[in-house]
Amino acid sequence: MKKLYEITYIELKLYLRTFVNVFFALVFPSLLLLIMGGIYGNEPSEMFDGYGTVDVSVPSYTALIIAVNGIMSLPLAVVGYREKKILKRLKATPIHPVYILLSQILINLFMTFVGMVILFVVGKLVFDLHFMGNAFDMFVAFLLSTLSIFSIGLLIASFAPTMKFATAVANIVYFPMLFLTGATLPLEIMPNVMLNISKALPLTYAVDLLKGIWLGKGFSDVAKDIWVLVGILLVSTLISIKNFKWE
Amino acid sequence: MIIEVNDLVVEYKGVRAVDHVSFSVKEGEIFGMIGPNGAGKTTTIECIEGLRDHYSGSIRVLGLDPKTERKRLYDLIGVQLQETSYQDNIKVWEICKMFSSFYANPLPYEMLLEKFGIADKINSYVSKLSGGQRQRLAIVLALIANPQIIFLDELSTGLDPQARRSMWDLIKELQKNGKTVYMTTHFMEEAEYLCDRIAIMNRGKVVAVDTVENLIRMFDLEDRVIFRVSDINLAELERVESVTHVEQKGSEICARGKGANLVHNVVSYLNDRQIAYSGLKVIQPTLEDVFLKITGMKWEETE
Repeated sequence: MKKLYEITYIELKLYLRTFVNVFFALVFPSLLLLIMGGIYGNEPSEMFDGYGTVDVSVPSYTALIIAVNGIMSLPLAVVGYREKKILKRLKATPIHPVYILLSQILINLFMTFVGMVILFVVGKLVFDLHFMGNAFDMFVAFLLSTLSIFSIGLLIASFAPTMKFATAVANIVYFPMLFLTGATLPLEIMPNVMLNISKALPLTYAVDLLKGIWLGKGFSDVAKDIWVLVGILLVSTLISIKNFKWE
Repeated sequence: MIIEVNDLVVEYKGVRAVDHVSFSVKEGEIFGMIGPNGAGKTTTIECIEGLRDHYSGSIRVLGLDPKTERKRLYDLIGVQLQETSYQDNIKVWEICKMFSSFYANPLPYEMLLEKFGIADKINSYVSKLSGGQRQRLAIVLALIANPQIIFLDELSTGLDPQARRSMWDLIKELQKNGKTVYMTTHFMEEAEYLCDRIAIMNRGKVVAVDTVENLIRMFDLEDRVIFRVSDINLAELERVESVTHVEQKGSEICARGKGANLVHNVVSYLNDRQIAYSGLKVIQPTLEDVFLKITGMKWEETE
C-alpha cells in the first residue's frame, strides 16, 4: 500500500504539471458551463423537457471530463511509459509495473471526480444549480461511467505500439464522442441520422446515465445504459489484460 | 561464482539471438561483455536480470533463478537499462523517492546523489539533466537497493569523452565498495581500462572470456614497430630476426613481429646499416586488435 501511495502521489503531481490535463479536465468544462449558462440561463427550458440548461449540462459535462481523462490522458500516459521503457525499468525492481498502471487509473479517476466537483461548485455559485437525484445513486453512476470509459482507454493502451499511434487512435475515438454523444452539444437538437450515430458511441450511454440519475430517475429507468456500460467495461478490460505488453 | 550462465539459448522470430552461451562472473570483479551491435549482449544481460522469460539453459544469480525468484533477486541487484528515460516533468528527488519506496531497506538517496556529484540537481527536472548527469542518476537509482551486483548496459554510450572518463572512476569506486559490476559496452578502451575479465560476444556466441592480457596472449597477436626513413631495403628488414612482416605507407615503415627482442633487433639493424630514422614508436596489441581478429570486421563497421 505504501508503494502504491508513493507512486500515486508522485504521478498525481506529474498529472497536475501537465497543462493539457489540467485545462481540459478542470478548467474547460467549467468555462463551457459559464458560456452555455451565460447564454441560456438555468430557467426551465422547453428543449430539455422543462429542465434548466445548466441542470442538464453539469452531468453531461461530467461525461466530457470522463472522456478526456479516460480516452486521452490515461492511455497516452501508459503508452508513453511503455515507449520510454519506464514500465520495463519498473519491472527490474521488487514491485510490478502494474502499480504505475493502477496509480494512473486512480489519479484519472480522482481528477475526474475533482472536475465534477468544480463543475458543481461553479454551477451552484453562478447559476443556482439543482441536483434532483440520489447522491449514492449518482456516485454509482459516476463510478460505472468512469470505469467503463477508462477501460476503452486501457484497450487503446494495450495495443498501441507507439505514442504517435496512440495519439491518433485516441483522437479518432475522442472527437466524435465529444460532439455526438450529448457530452457537449445536446442530443435534443440532433436529427435522426445523428442520433443513430450517437447510439454507436459508448459515451452516449454514460451521458444518458449521468443525466438520468442527476435529474432524479432511478436505475430501472436507465437499465439499458447500465448494461451497455457494464458490457463495455467487461469486454475492454478482458481484451486489454490479454493484450497488454509491458515493453 | 556470483553469476552462472549455462548453455543459454534465446530465439525470437526464428532468429537465434543467443546461441549456447556459458560463462560465469566472480564476486567483486568488473566483468565486461563486448561485441558489435546485434551480437546478443543486451539479450544476454536482460536474461540475467530477469527481464526475459523465453530462453533455455540455466542462469543463477546469487544462487537465485531470475525466471522464478525475480522478486528476491531485485532486492539484491541494481539495474541500469539501455535507453531508459523517465516521466515527463519528474524531478530528481521525486524519482529517487519513488524508487526508494520499492525497497525494504533503501540507501538514503541524498547520500548517493552527493556521492555521484549531482546533489545540487536534486530539485531539477530529470529532463533538464545532461547526458552524463542522467547516467549518474541511472546508477543512483540502481544503487538505492544497496545491491551486491550492479548491471550497466551501454552506460557510456552517447556521453562525451570527459563525462565517460569520470563515469569510469565512479565504476571503479563501486568495485572498491565491494560491488560486483557486470557491464556491456562497445568501447574497447573502456573495457580495457575497467574490466577485470572480458567476454567477447559475436553473432550470439561468446567467443572468449578472459583478462585483457590473456586474451591478447591467447590470440597470439604481434607487436608493431613503426618509424620513418627516407630509404630502406624492405626485403632485408623482413629477414631481421623476430620480424615476420613489413609494410610501407609513404615514408612510414611498419615492422610486425613477436618476441621480447623485436624492438632491439629492428633498431640494431637500422644502426648497423646507418639508416637515419625518426618517429619510432612501438605499438602493442590491444583489446581492439583481439576484437577485430575475432569478429573479422574493421572497427568502423561496429558503430
